[in-house]
Amino acid sequence: MPETRRREPVQEVLTDEDGVPVASALVAEDLDVRYPTSDEAVVECARLDVPEGEVTALVGPNGSGKSTLLKALSNHLTPESGTVRLHGEAIQSFDQTELAREMGVLSQENESPDSITVEDLASHGRYPHRGFFDRVSSEDREAVERALEQAGVTHLRDTELGQLSGGQKQLAWIAMVLAQETDVLLLDEPTTFLDLHHQFRVLETVRQLNEGKDVTVAVVLHDIAQAARFADNLVAMNDGQLYDWGPPRKVVTEQLLADVFGVEATVEYEPELQILPRRALGE
Amino acid sequence: MAGTHPTDTMTEPAHRNGWFTGRLAAFCLTSTVITVLAGLVQVSFGSYSMTILDAWSAVFDLDILFDPATWNAFLLGGEMPEMDDATLIVWNIRLPRVLVGVLTGATLAVSGAIFQAVTRNELASPYILGVSSGAGLAVLLTLVVFTGLAPFLPLIAATGGTVAFALVYAIAWKGGTSPVRLVLAGVIVGTVFQSLQTGVFFFADDLGVVQSAIAWTTGSLTGTDWEQVRLAILPAAFAIVLALAGARQLNVLLLGERTAQSLGMNVERVRFALSGVAILAAGTAIAVAGIVGFVGLIVPHVVRNVVGSDYRRLVVGCLFAGPALMVVADVGARLALSPIQVPVGVVTGLIGGPYFLYLMRKQQSMGGI
Repeated sequence: MPETRRREPVQEVLTDEDGVPVASALVAEDLDVRYPTSDEAVVECARLDVPEGEVTALVGPNGSGKSTLLKALSNHLTPESGTVRLHGEAIQSFDQTELAREMGVLSQENESPDSITVEDLASHGRYPHRGFFDRVSSEDREAVERALEQAGVTHLRDTELGQLSGGQKQLAWIAMVLAQETDVLLLDEPTTFLDLHHQFRVLETVRQLNEGKDVTVAVVLHDIAQAARFADNLVAMNDGQLYDWGPPRKVVTEQLLADVFGVEATVEYEPELQILPRRALGE
Repeated sequence: MAGTHPTDTMTEPAHRNGWFTGRLAAFCLTSTVITVLAGLVQVSFGSYSMTILDAWSAVFDLDILFDPATWNAFLLGGEMPEMDDATLIVWNIRLPRVLVGVLTGATLAVSGAIFQAVTRNELASPYILGVSSGAGLAVLLTLVVFTGLAPFLPLIAATGGTVAFALVYAIAWKGGTSPVRLVLAGVIVGTVFQSLQTGVFFFADDLGVVQSAIAWTTGSLTGTDWEQVRLAILPAAFAIVLALAGARQLNVLLLGERTAQSLGMNVERVRFALSGVAILAAGTAIAVAGIVGFVGLIVPHVVRNVVGSDYRRLVVGCLFAGPALMVVADVGARLALSPIQVPVGVVTGLIGGPYFLYLMRKQQSMGGI
């Protein structure tokens, strides 16, 4: 096992636009993430903060390492070096069940048997809360009920997954992570491949959860315009590196769109942030 | 029916614990009827001729059913009480064979169901994953070489299965396992162990041993009696209870490794533990009936088509459908070509092959659950 550099966290105090300090739910430091099959670092980043109670969107072109970074943040991938801390504690020090009670993770591609119902799927979100021989408690039932309600799939509870559209399926999966009732939620491209209606349904659900229950969210989005409208903070990734970090108004610039996304675009800040892509730039 | 109003479901817990559906109940009932009918056919016919009435009245003879002495003899191996010839043949020869069929059918089906979830591959079975060959080799060695160890056959079979599966796991392991690699490694290990099985034949001294060994590697219930019931019943019950308890883990495994991990499951550990249960189940069946092919593959498949892939239902369904298939197949094996008996594994193979052919033709894609 590689020697992990343990050191006291450097408290660089983050501040929001008004200079008020922000606590971070999730902090990654000196990350070097690689896949077991290759020797090259896929993601290298000195420091990444996911501020408590806010929505942070990871954006970047395909292959920029945003999903990989999310995997490292969720302990699905152990970094070659560096640390990820959840509420101040190293993520590897949590046991798997503990971590699942603190942090909900929805992967990009999810497969399930077609014959299970939406409610059954949502009930699996209670897995970390139930011991091996525990029966379903009333607490579990209420959590599932709330999750179905929040994700707006209560009316589909008895429908089998195989009969749902892609968007409805995604909402059912969201219901599953919501039933986990965690303070931190990591979502990997939850809106990709969905129609516009369901994209908004998913994002609104996440937003409501964030506002109503103060849930910290980190979400990979591939549509920067959507991310800019939706998130409190953007993390722009390029080629495995952090290009920029901050509130959308600060991060989204014509320069960023050119450098990171390879498009020429006009960015308007008034009356609200708007991105108007013009054309693709040459390599 | 979709669309239950949220407010009334809050006060209706039955709704949410309703995994035991009417469909499952009907399926279990049908399977039980088939098993009982096939069992009655089995006890009624044979080389010792008696009327069906005689046979059935012997089975339902209340004096025997409620006599502790007979059960002491059957289940604990005590002294056999006096009974007439017909009763003796029914109770001592034909009925235990049916019971062994029930036990092996149930354990093989459950074993297959577990392996299919663990590998997330509906083509998985103890046979495909090399477990049967490993257990088979161990039992064969016991029969031919270490004859003194015969009373521990289920344990020995399970050990052989474990060794084979551990090998499969080790070969498939590359920073984690994948369903496809597990199946491929299973085929490799299975082939090697089968060769070793064939090799063992050459060390057998007399032809009788070879013949019984051959019957044994194809899977046969010929000559099984209460001794086999006694041998199998405890490990079978143990494995079945664990399988039922593990149904929720199996369901979560079906959501994929990443999701299971996100939900807090230690995936490799759970996979390994459940595989252990499946090996014990398969080993038990193999120890008393030999390597009966296809049961562990077909039964979970049929059950899944009827009751869906929720393992709480699937395992229960397998417990009823496995015995039905096994007992019916054994009726065929024993009575179809009477007086010649063929190994029951031949019959299950003859049923299983075409069933899979039919599935292959009917279904667009196979493999992933």
